[in-house]
Amino acid sequence: MKSPWVLLLLTLALAEAFSSQRGLILNLENGELCLNSLQCKNGCCHRGSGLSLARCADKAAEFQECSRWHLTGIYYRCPCENGLSCEVDRTIIGTITNTDYGICEDPARKLYVEEKH
Amino acid sequence: MFAFWSLALVLLDATAGKEVCYDRLGCFSDDIPWAGTVQRPIAKLPWSPTRINTRFLLYTKQNPNNFQEITAINPETIDYSNFNASKITRFITHGFVDQGEENWLSDMCKRMFQVEDVNCICIDWSSGSRCPYTQASNNIRVVGAEVAYFVNVLQSKYGYSPSMVHFIGHSLGAHAGGEMGRRVPGIGRITGLDPAQPYFQGTPTEVRLDKSNADFVDIIHTDSAPTIPYMGFGISQAIGHLDFYPNGGEYMPGCKKNPISQIVDIDGIWEGTRDFVACNHLRSYKYYSDSIVFPDGFLGYPCAAYNLFETDGCFPCPNGGCPKMGHYAIESKGRFTSSFTKLYLNTGDAKDFARWRYKISVTLSGRSSVRGYINIALYGSGGNTKQYQIFKGKLQPDETYTHLIDVQLNVGSVTKVKFLWNNNIINPTLPKLGAAKITVQDGEDGTVYNFCGSDTVREDVLQTLTPC
Repeated sequence: MKSPWVLLLLTLALAEAFSSQRGLILNLENGELCLNSLQCKNGCCHRGSGLSLARCADKAAEFQECSRWHLTGIYYRCPCENGLSCEVDRTIIGTITNTDYGICEDPARKLYVEEKH
Repeated sequence: MFAFWSLALVLLDATAGKEVCYDRLGCFSDDIPWAGTVQRPIAKLPWSPTRINTRFLLYTKQNPNNFQEITAINPETIDYSNFNASKITRFITHGFVDQGEENWLSDMCKRMFQVEDVNCICIDWSSGSRCPYTQASNNIRVVGAEVAYFVNVLQSKYGYSPSMVHFIGHSLGAHAGGEMGRRVPGIGRITGLDPAQPYFQGTPTEVRLDKSNADFVDIIHTDSAPTIPYMGFGISQAIGHLDFYPNGGEYMPGCKKNPISQIVDIDGIWEGTRDFVACNHLRSYKYYSDSIVFPDGFLGYPCAAYNLFETDGCFPCPNGGCPKMGHYAIESKGRFTSSFTKLYLNTGDAKDFARWRYKISVTLSGRSSVRGYINIALYGSGGNTKQYQIFKGKLQPDETYTHLIDVQLNVGSVTKVKFLWNNNIINPTLPKLGAAKITVQDGEDGTVYNFCGSDTVREDVLQTLTPC
């Protein structure tokens, strides 16, 4: 009962999508489907697992999990926001499979701690 | 063209003034104001109760996953069920084309069981909702009468007080609450989740949901743009004791996605298709559902208009706090006695929708002025936020920039802030800018936090400011 309607709507949606200008390829909003982080307004194309679809998301804030830059442009953990660095020990397998996760840190914090000692 | 057809239909139905009577529920006429007016040109009589087949699906803490079907026609079904006459009863009603076994209704019940022990009754009238709109908008009168009958049976059978009844209706279902409230005096609360606009906006109070229908009526408006030509399905006029207009009430964030992204939703194709058809309209129950678990994440700021709320005209909350949109709105019952109270807030673009509002003022320091943007991140006892953009344009030292932000988590008491500036082009003079002073004002209680910084930083370098 539901499926013909869904199909019809999908067809309409596709037809409309290719005629519209806004945010189909570039400058995508959070939650829109993406293939590369370059497409996203907020700079991260995120997917939950290797099988799930990727959608634009916010970059990681301080103390959140993150990945460093990766060739594929799709991340299981988003890269950090500006001014933060993703502290991570890189491994060969992790680099290939894009599963080297770290924590976003403020580089200034390290200096601050060192100064105190 | 539309006017012509409306007129033609009015003439066709010129025999208005018919009436149908059903036992238990009484008579329904299609006289003015039920039909034959500018707002309701087509006259339709409601279908019979058996054809609409209103079903009451009971969920309780004992059976959160599988409903027990109860009916007031055979009151012993209520005895056999897990219905507890000492607990509050919340009815949830769907709207046009929808059905009572749709996930959002039972999910809302499950959310309630996380915070309270109630009788949660989902009302299914799908047989009466899947028909032309003009017919469905009259069928809800029977649905409302059925609920009224149900409450009356509870009252006579268990001495159950109508003040313990809370009716939650989405779209057309909200107006069923109006019909119920007119029949049963002293209903505790009616929540209208984006009450339907066509056939109800501008009609007399006896046709639609109104603040006179219950002791407390709260409304969430999420799709109140005019139906013609913007396809807004929700009523725009204020009709309750408290009327919440999240994001201005007309266009919801997260509903402007491109069609493929909208339909291929995280919650599945069916949920995505629903959003593709009526995203703004359906947001109302999503906000309500989230408000059950985030009591302070949906504060409504009393304000004359949304554009005043977007500048800082209505910040922070008044003395006594802001009313909470959604589940906990009843805490503000009786506080606003003036005619209608419009409340504004912003929400997120995907679940979780809860947001906390802060006012940020940044005073810059440094020597050179550059073009670029300022970002601020808040750190507090409740955690830290992502960076929010405060200003974009020409950054001048000693200038103060003020902006309101809605952050994703409750920061609690703010302990420090981080400042970052950036311009997107390479500047060989390597300018430095800093924040001399940042004040953060919490919207909920109006607390002001002051932070000072002495140094300046290059672009894309975080500067930490501490209290002063």
